[in-house]
Amino acid sequence: MTFPEAVGIVAVHPQRGGPATAKGECLERVAPAKQKARPRPEAPTAQEKFLLFRVGEEIYGLGLRGLREVLLPDGVTLFSSPPHQVCVALEHRGRKIPVIRMSALFEASPAGIPPTARVLLTQGQARPLGLLVDEILEMAEVDPARVGPLPALATLLSPSCFRGLFTRQDHIILLVNEDGLGGLDEVVQFYATGS
Amino acid sequence: MARTDTVSPGVTLDEASVLMFLVAGKQFAVDLNRVQHILDYQAPTRTPRRPPYVEGVIQHKGRYLPLVSLRKRLGVEGPGPENPAVLLLAGVGQDPVVGLVVDQVVRVLSLPADKLLAPPPRVFGIRAEFIRGVANAGGRPVVWLDGTKLLTSAEPITLLA
Repeated sequence: MTFPEAVGIVAVHPQRGGPATAKGECLERVAPAKQKARPRPEAPTAQEKFLLFRVGEEIYGLGLRGLREVLLPDGVTLFSSPPHQVCVALEHRGRKIPVIRMSALFEASPAGIPPTARVLLTQGQARPLGLLVDEILEMAEVDPARVGPLPALATLLSPSCFRGLFTRQDHIILLVNEDGLGGLDEVVQFYATGS
Repeated sequence: MARTDTVSPGVTLDEASVLMFLVAGKQFAVDLNRVQHILDYQAPTRTPRRPPYVEGVIQHKGRYLPLVSLRKRLGVEGPGPENPAVLLLAGVGQDPVVGLVVDQVVRVLSLPADKLLAPPPRVFGIRAEFIRGVANAGGRPVVWLDGTKLLTSAEPITLLA
């Protein structure tokens, strides 16, 4: 008899269940002794960096990859942009850039521009886009696998404006998507009218 | 299963198991099969431009869920109790699980088919479209809500006192 699957030591046990030899000896297949595995170094998880900022009372995040500059909101000019006054203009290095007033978009505290406010100059759909936020907080590194989807019921805004949610120190943080924000009607109209 | 004429069309059952709870002093129920967990209330993270009856999002077992106030969905004015309960409901809308804030969970109720009635056009001001059936518990009406229709419709509702 041959046992092609046998890969380890075959022990002979008289009168124990298992394949038997012609002599009546009972063969039991025993797993080969396992070699002690060398511990593999853990592959580093890819982390992405986000800049955390405040709008109203909640904290949000913006990916650092597209971020170009952080500016003071000097030179932000309001112009009639129905219906929300979401998109305003900023004169920067000789050109006008659309700036989204995040407090207006998010219906957060509407009272003016606080002294801590900053404009995050990023790229939205491959075009310059500013985000006027109430306060810059800090940077955070996040494993993208830990970012969960934003529930559909959570907002009436287009889901494309957000990348998802993650939790940091018991705070849930909503990540914005600059390409989605760059696709807002007000921003598209800004570039279309050459304002 | 025997079909009965006494409940809303589409409901075919011999006996339904529901979870009964209170909102603004009135007894309501949802399909017990939809209830995954009952949690203590936790303050949600407010999301921007949310529907008026959505309080925000919470995290439960690594998943983010919308938190819906049934008081607000039913147009109830004024603050609710200090320690409401949250029912985690599965399969009631676009999101896999939704947290529904109610005033107080009462108990599980078994509703035999012959005790479950089709709703009249309105119950407590709620249109029949949002109701699966009406029963009696402890001498008071229990309104078995259709969670899916309640959360997928934008129609405002005003619960009558």
